[in-house]
Amino acid sequence: MKLLDKSKLIKNHEITALDNLEMFCKNIEKNNGIYNAFLEINKNPALDCAADIDSRIKAGEKVGKLAGMVVGIKSNINVEDFHITAASKTLENYLGSYDATVVKRIKEEDGIIIGMTNMDEFAAGSSTETSYFGHTENPAAMGRIPGGSSGGSAVAVASEMCDLSIGSDTGGSIRNPASHCGVMGFKPTYGAVSRQGLLDLAMSFDQIGSFASEAAGIALMLETIMGFDYKECTTIDWDVPEFTKMIVSDEESSLKGMKLGLVKQFFEVSDDGIVDIIEESIDNMEENGVEVVELSFDYIDLCLPTYYLINYVEFFSATRKYDGRKYGHRIEEVCGDEVLRRIHTGSYISQKEFSGKYYKKALQARSLIRKEITKLLKNVDAIVGPTVPKLPHKIGTSLEPMEMYAYDILTVIANLAGIPAASVKAGEVNGIPVGLQFQAKPLDDDKIVQLMAGFEQINKI
Amino acid sequence: MKCGLEIHVQLETDSKLFCTCRTNYKEAKANSNICHVCLNQPGAKPYPPNKKALDGAIKIALMLGCVISPEVTYFQRKHYDYPDLSSGYQRTSIPIGDQGELNGVRIYDVHIEEDPGQYKPDLGIVDFNRSGIPLIEIVTEPDMKSPEEARKFLRELIRVLEYSGSARGEGTMRADVNISIEGGKRAEIKNINSIKGAYKALQFEMIRQKNLLKRGITIKQETRAFLESQMITVPMRLKEEAEDYRYIPDPDLPPMLAENDRIEKIREEMPEPSHIKTDRFVREYGINKDHAKVITSELELADAFEEVVKFIDPKFAALWMRDDLKRVVYYNKMSFKESEITPAQIVDLLKMLEDKKITAKAGKRIMEKLPKNKEMPSQIAEEMGLIGVVDENIVLKAVKQAVQENPDAVSDYYEGKKNAMNFLIGQVMRLTRGKADPGETHKLLESELKT
Repeated sequence: MKLLDKSKLIKNHEITALDNLEMFCKNIEKNNGIYNAFLEINKNPALDCAADIDSRIKAGEKVGKLAGMVVGIKSNINVEDFHITAASKTLENYLGSYDATVVKRIKEEDGIIIGMTNMDEFAAGSSTETSYFGHTENPAAMGRIPGGSSGGSAVAVASEMCDLSIGSDTGGSIRNPASHCGVMGFKPTYGAVSRQGLLDLAMSFDQIGSFASEAAGIALMLETIMGFDYKECTTIDWDVPEFTKMIVSDEESSLKGMKLGLVKQFFEVSDDGIVDIIEESIDNMEENGVEVVELSFDYIDLCLPTYYLINYVEFFSATRKYDGRKYGHRIEEVCGDEVLRRIHTGSYISQKEFSGKYYKKALQARSLIRKEITKLLKNVDAIVGPTVPKLPHKIGTSLEPMEMYAYDILTVIANLAGIPAASVKAGEVNGIPVGLQFQAKPLDDDKIVQLMAGFEQINKI
Repeated sequence: MKCGLEIHVQLETDSKLFCTCRTNYKEAKANSNICHVCLNQPGAKPYPPNKKALDGAIKIALMLGCVISPEVTYFQRKHYDYPDLSSGYQRTSIPIGDQGELNGVRIYDVHIEEDPGQYKPDLGIVDFNRSGIPLIEIVTEPDMKSPEEARKFLRELIRVLEYSGSARGEGTMRADVNISIEGGKRAEIKNINSIKGAYKALQFEMIRQKNLLKRGITIKQETRAFLESQMITVPMRLKEEAEDYRYIPDPDLPPMLAENDRIEKIREEMPEPSHIKTDRFVREYGINKDHAKVITSELELADAFEEVVKFIDPKFAALWMRDDLKRVVYYNKMSFKESEITPAQIVDLLKMLEDKKITAKAGKRIMEKLPKNKEMPSQIAEEMGLIGVVDENIVLKAVKQAVQENPDAVSDYYEGKKNAMNFLIGQVMRLTRGKADPGETHKLLESELKT
């Protein structure tokens, strides 16, 4: 059943929110043991919430736009009374004391929060293997990583354990697992969604976004969570588009007249199997009225070093509060290798004597990348290409840090530039999903939703 | 010697710098004025900086003659590990103003910081009520040449801060001083909480270093702590191994720009700084500098003076306001403002004195009645029967006459009969038609009878 149809049925009391929730709960009971998508499930409050929504619908009262939709939240976003662990031993006993702004908005729109999803420890990874609570399986390609860091949220949607889920994206942490698991994942423009309540990885990159199995779900969630928050200084005060209006049944109207840019370097760094599928998808879009132009981006080699230097320094700063006095453990004493590597490197390069050499240089490089990307986007509606240059590896494969980081080469650009970006499933290589990425100008999030909806339409025919 | 100061004082605001928690941390129960933002709990982000705090800092910088930065300013994170710091870093702004000057001491920079919580090692607790309260930090050049000069500067600075109405007073002051003497190295002294403390610390350090040099010992560059209870300084750590704070711009707080309009509006509305007011009073009213200083020590008193001199000779007003008004207010342990004495009351009193309707003595007595009293001095004078002036010579003449005319009473007095004195006072009163001051008469009679 399509999400918008389901939503309508619930609001018309033809099916109940409780039915919807029970269905997912059964699925979770059956499958979460296999996939390890959720770290914590809190069924009773969810049942109360569903019953309340149903009774209000029955009484003819107005309900929110997410009424009855079951939602999973990444474990680095505060939800009152849930364990906000960031999948780290550091916070294994930490209970959220307040709701993040996005959670408040989901609750206000009558979304039902069912539980907290698995992730890479403190979101520092692209595989969900570094969770203190064990790895997450990829339901679309068993035995392989689901991607990360929001692997749990991607899998929760891919394995039908909830309608929608929320993740965070610092260098691809939503789009990467969406690509590997064959679902949709959307990273909004930096500042479009409040970060109040999101545990920091790198504050100037972090952005909350959503997963869904269809464009309508993305649209519904973006409408809910986006918008100015006076309690978060980096949010933008703007008129949030009505994303659900972009979801139209006529595929032509969605894609026709759109101009897409194809950056050749993005294809050069990607595996052949992936390139074939993406090119095929682009041909398909061209047949449906999209104009494609070729673009060139000369700074691709600059992106990963710039991204990681800034990421290390900001992460080092953000983790100083985990000093062992307030949350039980001192982070350096209990965290995994990757988190420790980032803290130590961040501490090293932010030393007074090196800050000019590394951190300040990285900030300059970032401005340059932002400028160049803005230039590329000037004459197109969006840039199209692969989301991840490689297929997901088999769980347990040992990788050097640089091999691990190479997964992020195509996703970090959007975070460096602060632009919106999303991944949709384009096809499969040997049964393993491959994602296609759209990137657009700041605050052109609606154009991406429009493209996703159009792409979804032509792929179904 | 050369000495420079870094002074922190809390800004006067209702809510904290980055959240809406209240700032009355002293009255509140420990850890009751807190939220996830000022506790910096996982995921918490700062709210936009408190505008009142930013405006207050700009105002103080302007009053210290600073140039307000025309560039964007931003908050940095200063990292260090201490129990009172809930995030592991302190947010501190880059300079809001610089190139200022107060009494010949150059102001190097004025900026804003957030206060950490209060760590109480003896109780084993941290009280985060104070965490996030806005502070202003004022950094001077090493322009003071003695502990006395530093003390004088601090007094003047606190006066400016009090004038601004945007800062809390000496009670919230924390200062670091650095001192170097001829032939020595720079030492920084931390933990100073009062003007007296700064003075004592500098005095101690100056003598300590001089003694070391005398004994041929080289002075090392170091950080020392001041122990208020013993008025001495002790070593903290060598400066060479100083912490690296790993400053980075805070990514959660976008850069801010103080627009010219806003600066000009603050400049227009800000009170004239006390040290400038002092000079103006000397110039404009022709009063002497010491009087001007005392009168400008409190903004309300200075304002009252300017009201009073519209009706009264400034020199005469200055004399009375500096001596007697200050004495009465001080005796009652009040500020002038708290005494609720109005310029109209002062004018009324000084007019009676100028017109010789009452004696100086009576004037002093009326002044004593003024704190928290809505009555006009002329009314008080009437009620106390103080209207009328008798020349002291006339009283003296009357005293001599009374002694001469009443030898019996005089001999009674020498025999120790108390009534004799009262009788003689009565005689003087009669002779002066009751305008003599009884107390004064008593004294005059006593000295007359002693000779």
